[in-house]
Amino acid sequence: MQELLSEQRTVQERASGPAGALWLVQAFSGLLLVLLLLLHMIAHHFVVEGGLRDYQEVVDYVSNPAIFTITIVFLIVVSIHALLGLRALVMDLGPKESTMRVVNWILVIIGVAMVIYGVWLEVTITRM
Amino acid sequence: MPEKDIQFKVFRYKQGQDAPVYDTFTVPCDEDTTVLVALQAIRRDDDPSLTLRHSCHHASCGTCGLRINGQEELGCVVRVLELGTDTVVVEPMSNLPVISDLVVSMVPFYGVLNEVERPYIRQSEFMQQADTPKGIEMYTRYENCLECGLCVSACPIMGSDEAYQGPAALAAAWRVFEEPRGNDPEAALDWTDHAHGCWRCHVAYECTEACPSDVQPAEKIMSLRRELTKRKLGRLFSFGR
Amino acid sequence: MEKAKRLDDKARPKRPLQAWFDVRQDRLGTWAFALNRLTGIGLTVYLFLHLGVLSLLAQGPEAWDDFLELAHHPLYLMLDVILIFGILFHGLNGIRVALVGMGIGVRSQRTLFWVLMGIGLVLLVVSAWLVFTI
Repeated sequence: MQELLSEQRTVQERASGPAGALWLVQAFSGLLLVLLLLLHMIAHHFVVEGGLRDYQEVVDYVSNPAIFTITIVFLIVVSIHALLGLRALVMDLGPKESTMRVVNWILVIIGVAMVIYGVWLEVTITRM
Repeated sequence: MPEKDIQFKVFRYKQGQDAPVYDTFTVPCDEDTTVLVALQAIRRDDDPSLTLRHSCHHASCGTCGLRINGQEELGCVVRVLELGTDTVVVEPMSNLPVISDLVVSMVPFYGVLNEVERPYIRQSEFMQQADTPKGIEMYTRYENCLECGLCVSACPIMGSDEAYQGPAALAAAWRVFEEPRGNDPEAALDWTDHAHGCWRCHVAYECTEACPSDVQPAEKIMSLRRELTKRKLGRLFSFGR
Repeated sequence: MEKAKRLDDKARPKRPLQAWFDVRQDRLGTWAFALNRLTGIGLTVYLFLHLGVLSLLAQGPEAWDDFLELAHHPLYLMLDVILIFGILFHGLNGIRVALVGMGIGVRSQRTLFWVLMGIGLVLLVVSAWLVFTI
């Protein structure tokens, strides 16, 4: 019992970093997504005949500069929210700071790749 | 009310065992029998090696925290027959290491709580209109928190993140901010402002549900976050001014 | 800063999944948290799938229109309804987490939860109907 008690330490650990700021980004991006997703669902599924745009309808739709822009904004916001969500899951496991440094970088790389892919895709199909 | 035989499935673990087991005991219970009294009867009549903690027997000391049928409770005030089940499962609180059977180590709990240095005395909201007797400036009372650990047991994040400060300590920090009594409120707020502080909470509110003493830790965690949000957004929008 | 020493609970080793998904009765908050996490993971997986499927557009009309045939299949539409459930739960519960987590509606969070779930139920039924009838 003595051994058990002496092994038990207080586990107060201060992780430095912008935790509150990141949470606020998560919260506000989420609230923004409620709106963006609603618009997305309506625009792509509930005003189109048959619920899905065919190839030409997609190209025409995305060729509109406003739509093009909003789509990229949507992608950026959803990527940030999804990746911060995954990050929160990992943080809930109480990882080492060195682990989080790696995780943070992986998430940033994935996020940047997602946005680059999205821009590339939109540019490609509007030019085809 | 006549007695009814109730089965108790009790978590048993002694240091050195591979894994916990559940022992079953039958205890006759009437309308007044509490879980604590039933456990003491098991110790007296069936198995004196059953280890548990208890003290005041009236929900004032916070010693007898348990999980009863999976829910966080103080065993001294839970009436067995009011649970409505013929089998009652009794387990130690979660998220704190088991020492023996139903007894957990409170060392990690106090380790983080004591960092806050929240006073035990607070302003009393009762009898505010009363004239205080000569020589008495004002009425005070004890803080609500019994330091029982039930909030920590109920919290889903305490089960995965050992660094999380947890509802008890965070609620205490809010109390220091709200009523400093000589402490530094900003320091208390700042103490919670990090990844394993108030921002780790996922708003499940299980801590408030579990609390037997109306501490409302979840509401206090959100109050901490409100203060911190106001400051962070304030800094953001005053940038460039 | 390294992680603090793991507390040795030899009786009950740390099991995060058991802690997060402890969805017994009378654990509404844990249910909400667990389902938010599950739908979040599901939606993230879906996001990657969705972005991948959209690459068919770069392959031209035939590739995309082939996909559209699949997307009208009843089984696919059923998966769409499950997706919409995920979106609605995560989004609406997320509104609660965002607002309450900033200190808004702190004392009425349970009511807020049920109101949002009520809205979600209505939207789910309407969406499901639309998915199969459009």
